[in-house]
Amino acid sequence: MISGLSKKTFFITGTMALAIVLVFSTSLGAANITPRDSLMVMLSAIPGIGDLLDVNHISHAHQSIILYIRLPRIILAFLVGYGLSVVGTAMQGMLKNPMADPFIIGTSSGAALGAAIAIVLKFNQSILGFGAVSMTAFVGALLSTSIVYRLASLKNRVPVTALLLAGVATGQFFNAILSFIMVMASQDVSSIIYWTMGSFSSRGWQHVGLIVIPVLVGSLVLMTYAKELNLLLLGEDTASNTGVEVDAVKRIILVVSTLLTAFVVSVSGIIGFVGLIIPHVTRMLTGPDHRFLLPAAGLMGGIFLIVTDTFSRTIIAPTELPVGILTALAGAPFFIYLLRQTKKLR
Amino acid sequence: MGKSIQIKDLTFGYGDQSILKKLNVMIGHRTFLSIIGPNGSGKTTLLKNIARNLTPDQGSIFIDQKELKAYSTSDLAKDMAVVHQNPDAGVDFTVYDVVMMGRHPYIPRFKRETAQDMEIVEQALKATSVFHLQERFVDEISGGEKQRVMIAKALAQEPQVLLLDEPTSFLDIHHQIEILDLLKKLNQEKQITVIAVIHDLNLAARYSDEVMLMHEGKILALGTTEKVMTTTQLQRAYDMNMIIDHNVYTGSLQISPVAVNKKNTVSTISVHVIGGGGIAKEVLQRCYRENFQLSLGVVNKGDSDAELGKKLDVNVVEEEPFCDITDKALEKACMLADYAQYVILTSIPIGRGNLRNLLIAKTQLNEGKTVFLWNTYKEGTPYDYVGGEGINCLNELRALGLREYKSLDDIMDEIQQSQ
Repeated sequence: MISGLSKKTFFITGTMALAIVLVFSTSLGAANITPRDSLMVMLSAIPGIGDLLDVNHISHAHQSIILYIRLPRIILAFLVGYGLSVVGTAMQGMLKNPMADPFIIGTSSGAALGAAIAIVLKFNQSILGFGAVSMTAFVGALLSTSIVYRLASLKNRVPVTALLLAGVATGQFFNAILSFIMVMASQDVSSIIYWTMGSFSSRGWQHVGLIVIPVLVGSLVLMTYAKELNLLLLGEDTASNTGVEVDAVKRIILVVSTLLTAFVVSVSGIIGFVGLIIPHVTRMLTGPDHRFLLPAAGLMGGIFLIVTDTFSRTIIAPTELPVGILTALAGAPFFIYLLRQTKKLR
Repeated sequence: MGKSIQIKDLTFGYGDQSILKKLNVMIGHRTFLSIIGPNGSGKTTLLKNIARNLTPDQGSIFIDQKELKAYSTSDLAKDMAVVHQNPDAGVDFTVYDVVMMGRHPYIPRFKRETAQDMEIVEQALKATSVFHLQERFVDEISGGEKQRVMIAKALAQEPQVLLLDEPTSFLDIHHQIEILDLLKKLNQEKQITVIAVIHDLNLAARYSDEVMLMHEGKILALGTTEKVMTTTQLQRAYDMNMIIDHNVYTGSLQISPVAVNKKNTVSTISVHVIGGGGIAKEVLQRCYRENFQLSLGVVNKGDSDAELGKKLDVNVVEEEPFCDITDKALEKACMLADYAQYVILTSIPIGRGNLRNLLIAKTQLNEGKTVFLWNTYKEGTPYDYVGGEGINCLNELRALGLREYKSLDDIMDEIQQSQ
């Protein structure tokens, strides 16, 4: 590939950045742990290497903090950022719309409504360690996107404009119901708002376990359609004349993206902006080839969300900021800066 | 090599509006077919039906013996490539990347491009002379180059049939000829069947073996260029008058649109024009557009004024070529002038042969009719070839009240206002 950075340079730099971010973010927090210690603890947990390292000088409490509190949260942040960015990239490519993100077809409003219902009705049951809020959010996300999809599809085809308009309309409708619920149940407003801003607070390995397979499998499926996404950029007619089953491809990408986003949202709440700007930022670095762009955006998004989450839990500790605030707060100015710099975006 | 396309009873419409009406066509293999026709006649719709971008409401399309529906998307892409009108040439891919996308139907999902794919892409880049641009980004190159890149991408598909929708629109004349030369070459050397929607009738005539003329969703004519591009058929399709002759330089048919038909409003104004030597063409066109009832004379047969007059169905009084005006012709012209409300005299060079034309003006002036002179005589350029007699004659007309104008617009205004 001629355009942008070479693949090799990008992924080597990216992986190194990820490693550094991982070590530093695990060492930051209320308990004072050095980056060196946290690296040792993490390495010691890897079977095979663990036996070669002596971590006895690090207290058990610190070891537990790293392995059971900070590490799962960081990995979860990575997976969520990775998933949202891959989906956002695929959506922007498929819809040929620079404003597209994982939530554009109504996912966020459905999830928020689902979560709000569980919060207001005080559903406290949990199954396999997952709260009712996660489950209703998941169901809400799937429900709203399937409504949008039904509304937009016509004779086996899903025209892009119809999809975008149906997404906006359905989103507004669900938001109206959400507002109504918030007015009626004013004592729960703060929990609902808190949920819709997204957070990784008190998430553990079971959340990682829930989304790791959907996120990895889903993103791999999207990546196998990278060449089709490239061709779609030449227009749907041209793509079809070059051997792309346009409608089938669109349907697969929509279904996979929806499922992936619903899983992610159910554990993290709605974290905006990542799925919108990371694809753009990455595209500026790598060029438009989805074979390179999709994994690159995933890596960038993962790192970005680890960093913002680390800030969100340390910046005004002991209070935790919802990470969604920070992604927009940090992301928006940076994005505007890039826009003005490159002018390549359209 | 090169496959045929057969269309049987093809009907297609958007909603209630039917666009294509029961089309039946056989397009032989290795043909270069141009589809022409006015806007909205269904050219692009037909092309998109053949390309399977649209599905026919009724009827079927065959590539050789195989029905279009029976093709898988990637098999179809191996047999047929399509270059759409103003394709989105992709954000910022390089030329090479875009052309390599043409190999998509040949590369299995989890495989990379082979040396053979690269070889084919290289050939396609060379055939369309964009090889030197391969590392450039598509959005940095010119419109003509972009069009060639899209054709290169189509060639990388190694198609038997190539469809193009207005491949020369938005291109300057140089790039238009370049693209069509390229298509002709591909048609002849690679023996690809080429079907192109072409707006420019003269280019279509020059480059294609066969032409299909469409009109209101039907095929008005299909066959060799000479057979299809006749005045009657083109006039019917485009609703305007045309003159068809052979281009002096290329030898191909040349179509010159003359004036848009205005059928419904026949003006009551009648005008007689005195012309000759091509001087009166502009006046004739103008009066024709205004729907005046027109007569012309006396002019020599074969004169370009006479030819245009006849194309426009003007009542023309003719004289044998290179002959002086006879009494018979003069009388006939005087009668027509008599019949008309106005007479327009154009700035004809006055010679022995046509001096008597001025007499027509004189008789009308004597009868008190308004006679205009559209004076386009240039100072210093002689126009009197009869030793001052012509100028004398003109001055005599002036004395009788000849109204002289330099601009044709003023004459037209005067006529319109006096009504």
